[in-house]
Amino acid sequence: MSVDWAAVRVGDERRFDAGEIGRFHFVRYAGASGDFNPLHYDDAAARDAGQQRVFGQGMLTAGILSGIPAAWFGPESLRRFAVRFRARLWPGDRVSCWGRVVRVYRQGDRLHADLLLSAKNQNGDVLVRGEATVREWRP
Amino acid sequence: MAKISPRGIPVERGKIHEFATAILDDHPHYHDVEAARAAGLPSVVAPPSFVMAGALFEGASVETLAGIDGFDVRSALHCAQEFVFERPLCAGDVLTGSPGATRSYEKGSGSGGRMKFVEFEIVYRDQNGDIVVRSRTTAVQAPGVEKAR
Repeated sequence: MSVDWAAVRVGDERRFDAGEIGRFHFVRYAGASGDFNPLHYDDAAARDAGQQRVFGQGMLTAGILSGIPAAWFGPESLRRFAVRFRARLWPGDRVSCWGRVVRVYRQGDRLHADLLLSAKNQNGDVLVRGEATVREWRP
Repeated sequence: MAKISPRGIPVERGKIHEFATAILDDHPHYHDVEAARAAGLPSVVAPPSFVMAGALFEGASVETLAGIDGFDVRSALHCAQEFVFERPLCAGDVLTGSPGATRSYEKGSGSGGRMKFVEFEIVYRDQNGDIVVRSRTTAVQAPGVEKAR
């Protein structure tokens, strides 16, 4: 499960396909996160706000994207996770996530790595762009 | 200043399990206490965006934004979010959030209007008063632009 830090190199990449995301996922994330903004599950509210229909929470896509550093280095190694929201996630979109190591360095007594991240839909549009810093985990 | 949350919110295994499931993440350190302990953690660890979860967040963003002069929460759009951890957040921790730095600034938009940005920080401390994680939110208000949050 744990990463071999000595083998981590700039340019290393990981990706995964999160599959098709829809209303079920928006509602489940609303419950889990406590973000009950109706734009994410009530079409009438979404139309009133000028949207064609409901769309996913940005933090849902961000959470899915956090799976890249979590699966790769272990969630306990996350030092920083930052995201910018770029485009709407519509019901039925397929989400794919990608990450690349852009820097490996030692700070204090631990190795660190900076990652670039992105979550895209099936058309290649960036939904969320992200950055992460991970560091060797020492209990 | 904003009321953040009731003092001392316990971080619970069940909530971590629920949140990790909602973000489609089956990492065993989120769901399996034995796997987490085998990695040297005291219990399951929380996903990085977990502190946005309702019980901890308790309307903090809305209240903080409402306290910023001239900022209309109903038409503001969440545009960026950052979490910086001092250590892993784990089940069993008791977190208390308090407002950190806040700043606002304006930028010209492509259509010639002015967009107002707000950045604010919430600092979460554990039961010993030590900082565990800082959450930084950026929201934008653009007159006439889609309302989202």
